Amino acid sequence: MNKELYDLAQWSIKTAKAAGVDACRISTQHERFVEIQYRDRKPETIKEASTKGLGIETYVNQRYSAQHTSDLRREALEDFIASAVASTKLLAEDPYRTLPDPRYYEGRPNVDLGIRDASYEALTAEERHGMVKAIEAACLAKGGPKVISVTAGQHDSRTESIVLTSNGFEGVRESTTFYAGAEVTIQDEGDRRPNGYSTASAVNRKGMPAPEQIGTLAAERTLDLLGARKIDTATLPIIIENQNVPDVLRGLLSAMFARNIQQKRSFLTDKKGQKIASEHLTLIDDPLIVCGLDSQLFDGDGFAAKKRTMIEAGVLKDFYVDWYYGRKLGWEPTTGFPSNLIVPPGKRSAQEIMKDLGRGIFITGFIGGNSNPTTGDSSIGIIGKLFEKGEPTQAVAEMNIAGNHLEFWQKLAEVANDPWPYSSMRTPSLVFTDVVVSGV
Amino acid sequence: MRPFTRRSFLQRAGGVASAAVAAPILSTGWLSLARADEKGYFDSIFGITDDLCRRVLSTALSKGGDYADLYFEHTIANYVMLEDGKVNQAYGNVALGVGIRTVKGDQVGYGFTQDLTPESMLAAAATAATIADASPNKPAGEFVTPKLANHYPLERLLTSVPLESKLPLVQSLNEKCFARSPLVAKVNAIFHDEQKRVMIVTSDGIRVEDLLPKNWLMASVVAAKDGKREQAGWHLGGRKDFSFYTPALIDEIAREAVDRVVVLFDAVQPPAGEMPVVLGPGVTGILLHEAIGHGMEADFNRKGISTYATMIDKQVAEPFVTIIDDGTNDGLTGSLNVDDEAIPGQKTVLVQDGILRSYMHDRISAKHYKVQPTGNGRRQSYEHFVIPRMRNTYMLPGPATPDEVIKSAGQGIYVQDVSNGQVKIGEGDFAFYVSQGRLIEDGKLTAPIKDVNIMGNGPKMLRNITMVANNLEMSRGGAGFCGKDGQRVPVGFGLPTCLVKSMTVGGVKARPGEKRA
Repeated sequence: MNKELYDLAQWSIKTAKAAGVDACRISTQHERFVEIQYRDRKPETIKEASTKGLGIETYVNQRYSAQHTSDLRREALEDFIASAVASTKLLAEDPYRTLPDPRYYEGRPNVDLGIRDASYEALTAEERHGMVKAIEAACLAKGGPKVISVTAGQHDSRTESIVLTSNGFEGVRESTTFYAGAEVTIQDEGDRRPNGYSTASAVNRKGMPAPEQIGTLAAERTLDLLGARKIDTATLPIIIENQNVPDVLRGLLSAMFARNIQQKRSFLTDKKGQKIASEHLTLIDDPLIVCGLDSQLFDGDGFAAKKRTMIEAGVLKDFYVDWYYGRKLGWEPTTGFPSNLIVPPGKRSAQEIMKDLGRGIFITGFIGGNSNPTTGDSSIGIIGKLFEKGEPTQAVAEMNIAGNHLEFWQKLAEVANDPWPYSSMRTPSLVFTDVVVSGV
Repeated sequence: MRPFTRRSFLQRAGGVASAAVAAPILSTGWLSLARADEKGYFDSIFGITDDLCRRVLSTALSKGGDYADLYFEHTIANYVMLEDGKVNQAYGNVALGVGIRTVKGDQVGYGFTQDLTPESMLAAAATAATIADASPNKPAGEFVTPKLANHYPLERLLTSVPLESKLPLVQSLNEKCFARSPLVAKVNAIFHDEQKRVMIVTSDGIRVEDLLPKNWLMASVVAAKDGKREQAGWHLGGRKDFSFYTPALIDEIAREAVDRVVVLFDAVQPPAGEMPVVLGPGVTGILLHEAIGHGMEADFNRKGISTYATMIDKQVAEPFVTIIDDGTNDGLTGSLNVDDEAIPGQKTVLVQDGILRSYMHDRISAKHYKVQPTGNGRRQSYEHFVIPRMRNTYMLPGPATPDEVIKSAGQGIYVQDVSNGQVKIGEGDFAFYVSQGRLIEDGKLTAPIKDVNIMGNGPKMLRNITMVANNLEMSRGGAGFCGKDGQRVPVGFGLPTCLVKSMTVGGVKARPGEKRA
């Protein structure tokens, strides 16, 4: 544990109490990161820094505010905390604003989540540069003469954070993150220059794909975009590629937050226990996955982390209920925000499913769009491949899908067997039938 | 580094961020000692002398960089929110630090520190220096300060406005929203203010300071009718003095927010597919931002990855189309007295009379193209290095009237309000999300529509602008921002009513007489 961060948090609690808080939560963080990008086989950017920060949530006479600062000079912090407390007193009283009941802190699992790579400190500049060079080289080799530009890069970081509350919570999280990717631009007909990319993230170096794999995949995904055009508006089956599923899943998740429910901004308010999707959709929130990017032993309120089934065979089982909005709703809290999200995989590959579907669109990217959490209405642009007789035939662009989440998820017909492992949202490709895809 | 190819705009009016970064409501103390017109803030408060800057710049150039700069930032942001009738939440953020950049050709080394001690700054400079590998260079011996226009004068510092003066804004806005319609069920009212002080010191001998205010007042409203709920919002703001927030302005926000949500109960689904699209004036300028703006940022063109990379001096639109990117508009969100690499704020004509004339440059791309920088070098904060970004992007008025434009559309849709957009630079394909609009039937505005994504291709869309009206409006919202390469910066835009003869409208409903596969 970082003693300097811990001491700073303890000092801040004492200072806040002296300034008149009834209760407070202090979080301190330290991050070190290195970021390198290559283009034209030379470094384009090199960035490296260490950051620190302190956040304080103050509770005074049932009033609440939260502040964050990167100015950690002690004299500045004293002013900062005193001003924060003084200002909190000016806000309206809110009886729901308290620190959580400490019994929710209990039961924290005593497991090693494996989210800190012990070899991080040994990573050398040469290794970092070598990895990025390898990504770029593989991408250029696969892309061939059509390549206009390749930007390859990596980002790694080590983060330590400590959270203390005045009612006895102490939490430490130490983690590492590795990220790498490549972005490719190629020449198409006329002035069209398709951009594509591939990226991956993991908490340790062993969890990352080989650099050559990242580079090759980036080139392949970009070449797949050649000749894209829009086709006639039609009702078709669609397959949403695994790594793009989170873009549509977030529209569903936004309606599962207690804040949106309490503020009447959720289309799922009265849907707990009801079937909101086809039987093929199960969604699990699991903060305890070993080496998960969002694995944690405690959540933002300090609640002991716990695996939860949010949707089971299409039935909405739970909401994301934090301490504050749980009290406002009169509901038992669960956890405020998602951690690692799992959609259990099916049995067949997306390619096998495609063969059965005949004609449809394999969606490999989204553009623009939005989802209204109050009504469930959603509309989003798509990029991908038209497939006919089970085989990809034509890249498509400038097209769109739309609908309401309560209807859309009922059209989920199958889940593929390919969960995307390089994200905290481990989603397989999903197959929907009878979707209106608008184009010409 | 984050994915990559998508550049997007998002504004907050459609909802309230659940994890808002807001402000410590700091109203007194040393933070407010300096006056808005006072120079030497970083010297007087933090002891950043010319000698120290030269030492740090020397270290940044110690391995042969061509150019280096220092970007000092001290930002204080506050955010108060009313929920369920009470101003019961406040947030704050203080950002203090310096970013140090070394440039070698088109390569960038970057380090930053939040600790403004000589030791920490020299260490960050040494990190930045590693982008080069040659004999040391030296910074200029003296610094000069260019004379700047002030496009966002303040009567008083935002940090000197006490919290007690801000609370009535959101309380009044809440009351006015509920008074406007019995259908109103929930109101979130938010006031955000931010005061950013920056100092930029360059190795070619410029030292310049700026004080950038940014603030906005917003209502996000949920209404209920016959068992259905809808939400909408409205916000006004920019780089304003606190005196901007008058009772009349609060009336306007409440009226717009409530009227925009109530009308949604009558909204219908538009038909899907290609059709004429009329863009109403103002916030719909997001179309320019996505369709042409990002593609005209010079870094994408320098690298050959923009669809506009070969179009300079070519006809890209009808002769009545002129498009500007401008840092000199008084009080608008994207205005800049000086950009983040010490180039004075200015106006750049991107498309003149239908011909593409200029990209938006930072120092690196300007050197590449052998032109002067255009003042578009921007960054989110001291943690980020400069890249070319838009400021306020707008189209000049044309010869038609708004009624003529709508009539000419025949059958199509009218876009009134937009919540977000996104573009793929190389293809030019873009999307923007229509939160409010109308059907156009027989050349007239009819039923309201909502929640529709519109797709297009930038160069194609430019060629398809067939009419421009005489009613340019600049968006007056203050909460909009643009995302690129993991950096957010505030931007503005404007548009007169104009007709795009064909774009793809997302939806599920068939057009009259349409047969689908």
